[in-house]
Amino acid sequence: MGEQTNGFEPLIITFCCYWCAYAGADLAGTSRIQYPPNIRIIRVQCSGMVHPNLIIEALTNGADGVLLLGCHPGDCHYLEGNRRAQARAEAVTLMLQDFGLEPERFRLEWVSASEAPRFAQVVTEMVEQIKKLGPSPYRTQ
Amino acid sequence: MAVRLAQEWFAICGGCEVTILDIGEPLLDILPKLEIVHMPVLMDHKLFGQTGEGTTAEIPQADVGIISGGIRNEENKHLAQEMRKKCKTLIAMGSCACYGGIPALANLLTTDDIYEKVYRGSITTDSAATPKEDIPALTDRVYAVNEVVPVDLMLPGCPTPADMVADALTALLEGKPFTLPTKSVCDECPTIREKKAVTTLTRPLERPEFAVGKPLNEMRCLMEQGFLCQGPATRAGCGGHEGIPRCIRAYMPCRGCFGPLTEKANPMVDMMGALASIGLDPKVIPDRAATFNRFVGAGGRLRPLPRR
Repeated sequence: MGEQTNGFEPLIITFCCYWCAYAGADLAGTSRIQYPPNIRIIRVQCSGMVHPNLIIEALTNGADGVLLLGCHPGDCHYLEGNRRAQARAEAVTLMLQDFGLEPERFRLEWVSASEAPRFAQVVTEMVEQIKKLGPSPYRTQ
Repeated sequence: MAVRLAQEWFAICGGCEVTILDIGEPLLDILPKLEIVHMPVLMDHKLFGQTGEGTTAEIPQADVGIISGGIRNEENKHLAQEMRKKCKTLIAMGSCACYGGIPALANLLTTDDIYEKVYRGSITTDSAATPKEDIPALTDRVYAVNEVVPVDLMLPGCPTPADMVADALTALLEGKPFTLPTKSVCDECPTIREKKAVTTLTRPLERPEFAVGKPLNEMRCLMEQGFLCQGPATRAGCGGHEGIPRCIRAYMPCRGCFGPLTEKANPMVDMMGALASIGLDPKVIPDRAATFNRFVGAGGRLRPLPRR
């Protein structure tokens, strides 16, 4: 896959929880913080509602990576949604191998509503990581 | 006029054919309405004509065709297409025909790996070249019948419950619609569910807690007792007219032979997500891909791991 990385622009599906990460992304926008344009943000009520099905489906339908961003532990608006997301994230990481994907294609991070620079940093790191890995084997174009 | 029935079997153990006999008395009402024109397990009907004069494998015209078994080689594929051409209604019977079944566990390996293991890799086998002449070549993986030809009706189960076969055939003969249950095994399961939490796993052959002779609705849910039960991600209906899931009746956890509730679902993802959410460490689940896709390996659910 190495030779294809020249000019490869990854597509990363990003699930942001409504209460923290989406507000953080919003703040990154209004603060005009720069980050790579490779992500597509999907707002969800809570990181805990993102079932492994959705993550696996995104990756097996051609997304190069999936980011799941939620509130810091203890800050969840729904008390323990992010804990649940964390428990499932371990299962997702394990299952990616069964689908022939690198575990690094999925990442769970905590981003609070005030952490705009952190949001930009996580996104930048993820894009760099995926660029290193190359396109997803499920990608059709 | 009798309804002409053709039946063909591919990669299968033959248990689903036995199930047709297992229908019992209702079979006596069904049989007179049927004229069996092709059924390798039951009658001597040759594919290339009775004296071998034909040049291509042919199946006689039929109103109803039943296929059991998944597509494992080129011969299976040809006969499946032939069945589709000659039969007005095509039924996929059994988990192998519907989802690949046990033979589809081979989809975890490439055909080259399989040949290598079978003909050269095993220490108890004298090494030999892979046979090429006079036998059909393997397909690149095991396919469910509906991946090769369109199927009108799927009757899953390992084997398909006799009641379901009888109901489906009766409905077909009377021109009535037949649909599979849309509930999960858990919806039919009578055991007691106390709280949604599993933190430790028990080995599958250990004895669950139950009182002999007491009804099942006094036994605690097997999943809550720590057995990996695939009921939540499996279609109901295996219990037949009695309605109680078959494996549960034998104090065993569901193994998922009826396949997922929706066609595209992946039981492994569903089960791993569910188990992780209720507190089980996902790392303790042994051989998750094969365990949760035991009967449904076709359709791209099981695939060889890429070499890195």
